Amino acid sequence: MTAALSTHQLAKDYGDRPALEPLDLEVPEGQHVALVGHNGSGKTTLLRMAAGLLDPSAGEARIMGHVSGSLEARRSLSWLSDTPTFYDDLSLWEHLEYVGRLHGVAEWQGKAEELLERLQLSARRDDIPTTFSRGLRQKAAIALGMVRPFDVLLVDEPFVGLDSNGKTTLLELLDEAAQVGATLLVATHELAFVGRVGRLLALRDGALVYDGPPSEADVHTLVLPA
Amino acid sequence: MSDTAPSVGFDALRDLRRRRQLHRLGNLDWFEAAYRVYLFGIFGGGAVLWISNSIKDEPVSEAVAADVLSHGPAVLGLLVAFAFMAGVRGGAQGGPVALEAADVVYVMLAPIDRRRALWKPAVQRLRSAVFTGAMAGGVIGQLAGRRLPGSTIAWFGSGALYGANLAAVWVGAALLAHTLRVPRWLATSLGLVGVAWQAAAVTWGVVGPFDLDGSLALWGWRVRGIDVLALAGALAMVVVGMALLRRLSLDALARRSALVAQLRFAVTMQDLRTVILLRRQLNQEHARRRPYVRLGVAGASKGFTGTVWRRGWHGLLRFPVPRLIRMAAIAAGMGVLQAMVVRGTTPAFLGTAVLGFVLGLEIMEPLSQEVDQADRADALPVERGELMSRHLFAPAVALLPFALVAAVAAWLALGAHGDAVAPALVLAFPTLLGGATGGVVSIIKDMPDPASAPTQQNFMPPEMVGFTTAIRIVWPIVVSTLTTCTVLLPRAAFERGDSVVAAAVRGALGSLLVVLLVFQWVRLRDRLRRKIRAFMDEGRAYTSQQRSSA
Repeated sequence: MTAALSTHQLAKDYGDRPALEPLDLEVPEGQHVALVGHNGSGKTTLLRMAAGLLDPSAGEARIMGHVSGSLEARRSLSWLSDTPTFYDDLSLWEHLEYVGRLHGVAEWQGKAEELLERLQLSARRDDIPTTFSRGLRQKAAIALGMVRPFDVLLVDEPFVGLDSNGKTTLLELLDEAAQVGATLLVATHELAFVGRVGRLLALRDGALVYDGPPSEADVHTLVLPA
Repeated sequence: MSDTAPSVGFDALRDLRRRRQLHRLGNLDWFEAAYRVYLFGIFGGGAVLWISNSIKDEPVSEAVAADVLSHGPAVLGLLVAFAFMAGVRGGAQGGPVALEAADVVYVMLAPIDRRRALWKPAVQRLRSAVFTGAMAGGVIGQLAGRRLPGSTIAWFGSGALYGANLAAVWVGAALLAHTLRVPRWLATSLGLVGVAWQAAAVTWGVVGPFDLDGSLALWGWRVRGIDVLALAGALAMVVVGMALLRRLSLDALARRSALVAQLRFAVTMQDLRTVILLRRQLNQEHARRRPYVRLGVAGASKGFTGTVWRRGWHGLLRFPVPRLIRMAAIAAGMGVLQAMVVRGTTPAFLGTAVLGFVLGLEIMEPLSQEVDQADRADALPVERGELMSRHLFAPAVALLPFALVAAVAAWLALGAHGDAVAPALVLAFPTLLGGATGGVVSIIKDMPDPASAPTQQNFMPPEMVGFTTAIRIVWPIVVSTLTTCTVLLPRAAFERGDSVVAAAVRGALGSLLVVLLVFQWVRLRDRLRRKIRAFMDEGRAYTSQQRSSA
């Protein structure tokens, strides 16, 4: 069976400062994984390299067996950044149309309406998302990440800025994606979320220091810097 | 879960780009756009007219014309060599294409052909560069045509062709370096080889790699078929670069997207400090993690001035090597231009002023950092002006080695004549320091003023806003010019047969006087503004009291 996400000696350094030590990792299809670590531990670096947004210094990452960044990998992967970006001349609804159609979804409207409804954004669908508050921008980014089909969902700090309703809705959406077979890798500081996943990865100063079930880990210790 | 049809994706990209274009046109403030065109026309046209008037109309002598014909291609090829170097270095650092941040996330991560998606932004980049190059080349060409054989129109055309080719070399080299993932060290080496080889062609008359490119500029006088090879070379670089577009690094595009958007905004706001900062970030030029030398705490024990002095040196001693080389090159350029003034090319002192201004923006980094953190500076229990003025000491001293570079460059440009040593040494430091003072004025003028109303300028009529904007840009250059034109004194003394060294000393004192005035302005600016404001408020209160009593 092909791994949904695999890395082989994947490493990144910025000059003389290593951001991620060489990492070998396999995440099987359908697995629900949390990625934790202190600030600067390498979580975002790992996710961005897996998404193809950052060139590795060494090694490679693959999505569903395809090199990250390749057309096939992009078809399978949805990426939710911790710093959502939007066009400043398109409404939220136009963004949803754009992203849906870019991914070849002919009937995107139904899914878009459902997502806006659940994320309580229906009233703002014709507004420009660059004018939204931090929390609303995060919700809009979630809608854009989920309006298109995906096999692997990479999420970086999804709970930042969300109110309690938003957090609940996001958790529901992630659970639903997992139920239909998607692979989830979520980088988070929200330690309560760790209990909902089947596998925990912990990074410290760019090195993988824990890979196993969350029930066997002392998460509070794992997220401390060295 | 993936069930998509890629062709639909590209149709969406085309539709949405069209729709966004309509949105942009709909949102365009036509009055504002027309006003910008008007301002550009006034100042651009004025500059062209001024330069045109400063160039004599009588044809050059036959000897000079022969000199232009034999050395012109190599000299003009040197500019193309610099464009090539800028291109390969820019490409290795992620240029020349810049996308919007949202395009990187939504378009580049979508399952569509990246080459097709990147085609339009790349063509736009090429088109704007070629247009700018052609326009600048055309204007300069017609100016040259007024003194050289050939019609003005032919010179305009050949200048435009040369400028367009230069721009195509720049964009093509950048595209190739980026798509072929040329490492930065190799890109710099390639660029330096090109420049050095072409410089050898200028100096010793060997065949240079960019001679044919330079020769295109002389088509207004004579046409050589073989020069077409230069156009073919530039075209080939562009075609191969465009064919390899899908190899552009998403990492570089993502990094550049946010920076380029900020850069454009900073340019529209005439925010030079931000432009320079962002340019450094685009070039991935970072301060060293540790200074070359760490100063002991003994300096800090001397109180406030010692603390600021130590902080300034720790910033300056973190300058990366490329930045130091760039500053040395600027200093050398200033020396050469001053030597040109001495040799009779009077307008060259304006070039010295501009270079001095740029050097000031580089060397005054500790001051800039303090201005960037204005809130922190305002929270300190010291007068802001006193703090800012203390930040000038360390950069001023740091200019000394660059002054030596400028003096040596000027001395060499004056034919390494023994009599030129003393005046060059006397004038170098005050000229560099004075030139850098323009940079200080620019930095301090951009400092937020907590005492003034931020909306003050919003109530100005558009004509006044344009005028104040122009003053804001030009004034620092004027200050630099005041201190660099002092080189005219030793030139005049030489022509009259007086003591050149004594005249150089007088010029140096003049430059230092301007520096002293600017120092006092930095120190007392806030206090003076407060006094003026209090005086104005008093006047207003008195007037309203008079009116109410009447």
